[in-house]
Amino acid sequence: MMDELDLLKKDWQNKDDHLPKLSYNELYNMIWKKSSSIVKWILIISVLEFVLPHLLYLLPSTREGLEIYTGPGFSKYLIGASIIQYSVVVYFIYQFYKRYQEISVLDDAKKLMKKIIKTRRTVKNYIIFSLTMILFMFILVAAGIYFNDDFLNNFTLAQEAKNLNPEQLKNVLTITMLIAGVLMVLLMGAIYFFLYGRLVRKLKVNYKELKKLEI
Amino acid sequence: MNKELEHQFVTELENNQNIVHKVCTLYTSDRDSHNDLFQEITIQLWKAYPKFRGDSKFSTWMYRVALNTAITLYRKSKRRIKTQDYESVIFKIKADEYDETEEQQLKLMYKALKQLGDIDKALVFLYLEDKNYSEISETLGISEVNARVKMNRIKNKLRTILNP
Repeated sequence: MMDELDLLKKDWQNKDDHLPKLSYNELYNMIWKKSSSIVKWILIISVLEFVLPHLLYLLPSTREGLEIYTGPGFSKYLIGASIIQYSVVVYFIYQFYKRYQEISVLDDAKKLMKKIIKTRRTVKNYIIFSLTMILFMFILVAAGIYFNDDFLNNFTLAQEAKNLNPEQLKNVLTITMLIAGVLMVLLMGAIYFFLYGRLVRKLKVNYKELKKLEI
Repeated sequence: MNKELEHQFVTELENNQNIVHKVCTLYTSDRDSHNDLFQEITIQLWKAYPKFRGDSKFSTWMYRVALNTAITLYRKSKRRIKTQDYESVIFKIKADEYDETEEQQLKLMYKALKQLGDIDKALVFLYLEDKNYSEISETLGISEVNARVKMNRIKNKLRTILNP
């Protein structure tokens, strides 16, 4: 085997003539192209993750929907939740920025992969947090409907719905809210983890491979 | 100043582009992916170039950036269809220099090499480029002892691939 590998080494070092040769100009043009590194993808996905939920507020239907939150018995919870949410978001952005800055292609392979995985974990934690917040909001609205009779008056209901027995209507709305919340979180989570999981799967395999050596 | 840096960099790259091509050859199996990886490595090299202080040789510095890029780049796992053609061009073996068994052996070795994982490839690549174990360990971030252990395992792995 040793002989074979040495044979390969000799051949390897002699095959420069068979490699492609790019000209000065070709190389010069290349340095201005856009990178498609994994770090760049993590950045793009993260920015989207931070921005997308906020875009929802721009839709008229969402804005109308949100008006119910300002109704009696609800706004103080909402303000509290928003304050917590935004402080956590700011914390995540800071963490992400710090870790992103630390990534350098000049590190050794193991350190580089470790930093990329750490950065990505920050984003993952943020996703888990925002999915939890979404679920929490739905539960809050469901609870509002169930325990607070005034709350129901904030909804503009269809004529048919008004004919229903109020108790029944309350139950139906509460359960619908809960189911919608769970479905939405599951769907968003599935899409996200599928896309992101694919992106870093290879990297994780390589990192594990190097780590295994340390034992 | 900037123009000068650009010129300096591209000239260095032009003279040392073989290193990058070799990495691409090892990590990809068709021309398009080869070019994509080459381009990405070039971009990463250029971005890191202002930090290159010249305390090591440009080529030494290139190994690290090139391998790091190859190992971490997200690649769609395309099923290898065009592999055969491409390899026979790149890994062309001069028939007059080797006897037939050697040539056959080499072909098998190159094929086996392609089947290794990303990290194993990096190790073999540095080995084939005649880097010593201290350089290998620094590039990959593992200890020298572990680099040796790993290299022995890869040799065994190659043996199994060659003699199933």
